[in-house]
Amino acid sequence: MNGFLLYLVLNTLVVLAIAPLFVSLIKKVKARTQGRSGPSVFQTYYNLAKLLKKEVIYSPNSSRIMRVAPIVNMAALLVAALFVPLVFVPEPLGGIGNIILFLYLLALAKFFMALAGLDAGSSFGGMGSSREMSISAIIEPTTIIVFAALVFVFKSLNIFDMFATSAAAGTLATPVLILLGISLFIILIVETSRLPVDNPETHLELTMIHEGMILEQSGRNLALMELSAAVKLTLLMAILINLIVPFGLMTTFTLAGLLIAALLFVVKGSILAGIIGLFESSTAKMRFFRLPSLFAMAFFFSTLIIIIEVFA
Amino acid sequence: MIDPAFIQGLIKILFVVVVITAAYIISTRNLLSLVSVYALQSLSLVLIALALYSIEGAPVLLAIAAITFASKVLIIPYFIATIQEKVRIRRDIEFHFLSPTTSLIISMGLMLVIYIALSKILAGTHARESFLFFGAVLGISLMLMGMMVTFSRKRAITKVLGYLTMENGVLLFGLFVTELPFIIEFLIIIDLVIVVLLTTILTVGIDSTLEDYHKRLHRFHLWEEEERP
Repeated sequence: MNGFLLYLVLNTLVVLAIAPLFVSLIKKVKARTQGRSGPSVFQTYYNLAKLLKKEVIYSPNSSRIMRVAPIVNMAALLVAALFVPLVFVPEPLGGIGNIILFLYLLALAKFFMALAGLDAGSSFGGMGSSREMSISAIIEPTTIIVFAALVFVFKSLNIFDMFATSAAAGTLATPVLILLGISLFIILIVETSRLPVDNPETHLELTMIHEGMILEQSGRNLALMELSAAVKLTLLMAILINLIVPFGLMTTFTLAGLLIAALLFVVKGSILAGIIGLFESSTAKMRFFRLPSLFAMAFFFSTLIIIIEVFA
Repeated sequence: MIDPAFIQGLIKILFVVVVITAAYIISTRNLLSLVSVYALQSLSLVLIALALYSIEGAPVLLAIAAITFASKVLIIPYFIATIQEKVRIRRDIEFHFLSPTTSLIISMGLMLVIYIALSKILAGTHARESFLFFGAVLGISLMLMGMMVTFSRKRAITKVLGYLTMENGVLLFGLFVTELPFIIEFLIIIDLVIVVLLTTILTVGIDSTLEDYHKRLHRFHLWEEEERP
């Protein structure tokens, strides 16, 4: 019981600490592919520290939602962070790790972000929320199917059990895992508003989705929003890493094992961040109505996995 | 001697590559990558044939691998790439009856139906029991997916690619369930080369003056003005 509490505290802290690093790494890789040297890998930390010191300004039109949304958003993602062990997989306890609850927590965070976008009454925020919700309406079924495929493959509804199974098997590149990896990657790209779906760099009214929704946020609220986006990225990356390349993932606690696992996780995460950066650099933003064909790919592969698992 | 279990794992991974390339061929709009993806699909078929050869040792598999490599990985993609350079079509954004998303969903249903049908047809035979059964399912699915590409795309050049994909499906099915006589395999490939050659000639024109060339392109739907009223 004490060990589990320790896990809860440590895992949350590690997620919070490492999330901005991955965000900056992706930016760094993208800058390098464009021939710029790019900001330092600690830039996101500096930004967050700066934002935390700044004053919060609310639009006179905004209601209580605006004040609550960043906190609800961050809280939902921090609870979700408990569900995804980064380096050490303890025995699951009391419903923590249930994959359906995990999805609903992500959806809750997204819902409040969209509400906050609408709340200030600016047209950009409204556009952002409207787009985000349209995309969510299409991507949710795909997400559910992908995670259902995970459940079929690992024979468990609990993320902890899945990680333990994959760590015990330790195999690389079985056919099913390749398909799963592609589907999860697409989900990762869409859920974190990355390039073919949304451009995280611009503040052009025509293209922004995620940025549009947080346009009215300022000060520590903006910091919370940015950090929660980074946490979401890290969680989805951790799921992908720990299911597809689980080697080094620790299931019984030793101090040396913990250090090695943590180090390996940072290395694997950095490599994945590099891959995301390269992927973003190599594609252009898709037109809004073309997006379903990207999701359909993930949907197709996951359904194929379910067919294979059920029939073969 | 290589471990057969390893080879089987390898073949299964190659199946996945074939599925991924097929999904890509159905849904992409970028013609340049379409050709290289087709070459990749053919290459994975070559590797499957080689892997099967290392298990079964039938020399016909080796011959199929060689001829597939020469024709479908090298010659045909080269010709199509040449046509593309001449015609300067970069993307294919027009679809007849089916959008890429719908085609993907339909092909999923097709795979399921074929799986169920084949497992009834082949029940009790040797082929049903072995891991190669999935290869046969994949072969027929690939064939039908190719057919879908052929009728859902508008440009002649992508239609040809659909036809080529269909042939890859036939080859895959032939590798796993029946032994297609080598001579038939050979003839099919000659047919393919001729189809591609014909497309080249039709596209580029044998005796093209500039007007003639454009007229031809229009007639075969290879070139349509982007901004139509």
